Amino acid sequence: MQVQVLFDQSGNRAESDSPTGSLGESIQRLRAAQDELRRLSVDDLISLFDEIARAWSSPRHSLAATLRENELGFLTLWMRERNLRRICDLALHGSRHCLDEFCSLSPVDARVFKAQPRGLIVHWVAGNVPVLGIISVVQGLLTKNANLVKVPASDRGLLPALLNSMRGVSCVTASGMRLDGATLTNAVCAVYADRQDREAARQMSLAADVRLAWGGRDAVEAIMSLPRKFGTEDIIHGPKLSFAVVGAEKLAGEEQARAIARSIARDASAFDQRGCNSPHTVFVEAGGVTCPQDFAKLLAREMDTIHRRQPLRVIAPSETVEILAQRAEYAMQGTAWHSEGMGWSVLFSENGRGLGGPCYARTLFVRPVSDVFDTVPFCSGATQTVGLALGDRRLALANALTARGVERCPEVGSMSLYDAPWDGLFPIGRMVRWVSAS
Amino acid sequence: MLPAVREAMAHHYSHCELFRRFCEARGFNPAKPLDSLLDVPYFPVTVFKRLDLRSTDDIIRVLNSSATSSQTPSRIALDNITRNRQMRVLAAILGDVIGASRRPFIVLDAPPSDVRQDNGNALALSARIAGMRGYLLAASEIHYVLSDVAGRPVPDIDKLRNVAAQFVADNAAICVLAYTYILYKYVVRPLYDAGIQIELPPSAFVLHFGGWKRLQDEAVDKATLNRMIGEVFKIPRNRIRDIFGFTEQLGIIYPDDENGVKRTPVYSEVIVRDPMTLLPVSDGQPGLLQFLTPLPHSYPGVSVLLDDMGRIITREPSEEGRYGTGFEIIGRAVGAEIRGCGDTLPTRVYEVTGP
Repeated sequence: MQVQVLFDQSGNRAESDSPTGSLGESIQRLRAAQDELRRLSVDDLISLFDEIARAWSSPRHSLAATLRENELGFLTLWMRERNLRRICDLALHGSRHCLDEFCSLSPVDARVFKAQPRGLIVHWVAGNVPVLGIISVVQGLLTKNANLVKVPASDRGLLPALLNSMRGVSCVTASGMRLDGATLTNAVCAVYADRQDREAARQMSLAADVRLAWGGRDAVEAIMSLPRKFGTEDIIHGPKLSFAVVGAEKLAGEEQARAIARSIARDASAFDQRGCNSPHTVFVEAGGVTCPQDFAKLLAREMDTIHRRQPLRVIAPSETVEILAQRAEYAMQGTAWHSEGMGWSVLFSENGRGLGGPCYARTLFVRPVSDVFDTVPFCSGATQTVGLALGDRRLALANALTARGVERCPEVGSMSLYDAPWDGLFPIGRMVRWVSAS
Repeated sequence: MLPAVREAMAHHYSHCELFRRFCEARGFNPAKPLDSLLDVPYFPVTVFKRLDLRSTDDIIRVLNSSATSSQTPSRIALDNITRNRQMRVLAAILGDVIGASRRPFIVLDAPPSDVRQDNGNALALSARIAGMRGYLLAASEIHYVLSDVAGRPVPDIDKLRNVAAQFVADNAAICVLAYTYILYKYVVRPLYDAGIQIELPPSAFVLHFGGWKRLQDEAVDKATLNRMIGEVFKIPRNRIRDIFGFTEQLGIIYPDDENGVKRTPVYSEVIVRDPMTLLPVSDGQPGLLQFLTPLPHSYPGVSVLLDDMGRIITREPSEEGRYGTGFEIIGRAVGAEIRGCGDTLPTRVYEVTGP
């Protein structure tokens, strides 16, 4: 077993020769730091995150380029005070203060309730969408848990760099207390272990009170198969796919259609379309002023605009081959719009039906449908997000889609934004243990 | 090459509707001057798995690729013109390696008579036999030295030893022919492990083909295989030739030259493209391999991209006077490692019916 410590109470060690550490000692230190965390109120913690978000918003911040390149700008909005209060309240029966003290949750129930941290959360973070791993850690800290994070091989340095930056921020809370970022980050340890290192994975799993995993099927199944303590909570964000639906009523004119195309292009380009919330297929209802094929053309223009501003970062050779085959096939039997290189592709055919097999690297299949409700059969528990561009029918369709397994139905343009619930659950709610007293 | 490729593109443009649409979408019109092979549009060979692309109705046979990397084989429709071209080109390229006159072949595989419908491996064996048919046109006599036993190739070592001994006694110029994986797994590896050597005449060639995909789990590379072949058959390295080729441009083969370098013959050219920009990379840099040849008449396989990575090694002639672009196959195009929660699901989730 070999575990490299990339970040702990000593700060960022990712850029030096990271020491191999004893997992047991790291966990002991984390639990001690967790005790410090428990002494603070959730609003104090939120104030500190708000200060971090403000610092990261500055274009002169030392991590500004890193945040931009990794599409982490969303964090600076998500970590603001108002949003964090909202998501904590949402997940904790309307009262985040249950994290601090016993609270009444119902006027007709004499009991009081408290949300106790579960203890140690072990996070297995995927490399495809860095922001999601960081959001998990922030939620772990808000719930006053200790956090052990196994970072992905593809992105070892990012999380330690962000944690180190958090460590250097301080604020004065509403109660006049000075809070250092280290109070938060002392309760986080980021480590790297080779995915073949079964013993390291086994020890992390056995230590966990909550196992939180992001990843593909093989990764999450491997984690789930590890031994665990009785009562350990699992929060699994496994492989899912997403699509978008555009109703005819939203295609009443070219400007409106262009705005929707722009939103979908933004959703599809975020994280180079590697997120579970990235659309791969766009169903366009016939009958609008803009027909599905013309919409596909507008979408292609918007994809190109984003590509010029923020080009695709990486592509695997096998993805190139598959996308080129799709481009050729659609050029022969439909229409293919695409960049010169592998920047983006929009593929349309009047005969296209169902979900397009995902090609990634900003590849969108545009399918005509005669009725937006025709998309319902394409959904299952494997569908994460369906972005909607609809008028009055949106809740009716959302009801039908979610009944088939879809997790969320935001407006197009917001598909890539993390919110709660996610994958059918409020993670913050799962990171605590509810207790009551009379 | 350029005029011949342009003429071939014009033929398919005129006779294959789907291909014409593809060319139009790429802004390619064969009636216009073509300045460079780099400007010839291309598509991945996988398109032949999905679409039935034909440029004539006079089809005499439909070839299926080995389909080792997917469940669906490529379907290549052949007419007489294409088949004749393939045979002539194959004979010419092979003759350039082993000499123009026919010679005895020892085939390290089961004979066609072993193909029986009650044998679960009948399809695999008949496909193997079909795949080596072109090479055997250069044979004056054929000796099969393996049997198909319950779907598994089993070498008849005594027969191999006796046949080889006879040719050594006659000092005959012979060829040993085999699929690479059969050569390694069923002949060379077992003989090598058992310390058995079977001497071949000094002028013999060992030709093996069919690719390395089936040897991925065996942890054997070309240098190791060559060393083992050399020890088992007591022949020098320069008599062992790995041959690369693919169904979508059948007839064109790329044998190693004396120095182990594959070179394009006068009938084809290779371009290595960057997987992100699709632009040609500098010589020596790895990329996706595009092959061009004017050979195919019945299907538009003039300019295709493989899902293999490779690189250009040299454009200079060898000391032995071999011309053509020297290239190397690096391996299969690899997939993405960081899909995480956005990874693909089992195919049953998709209902792909387009375009």
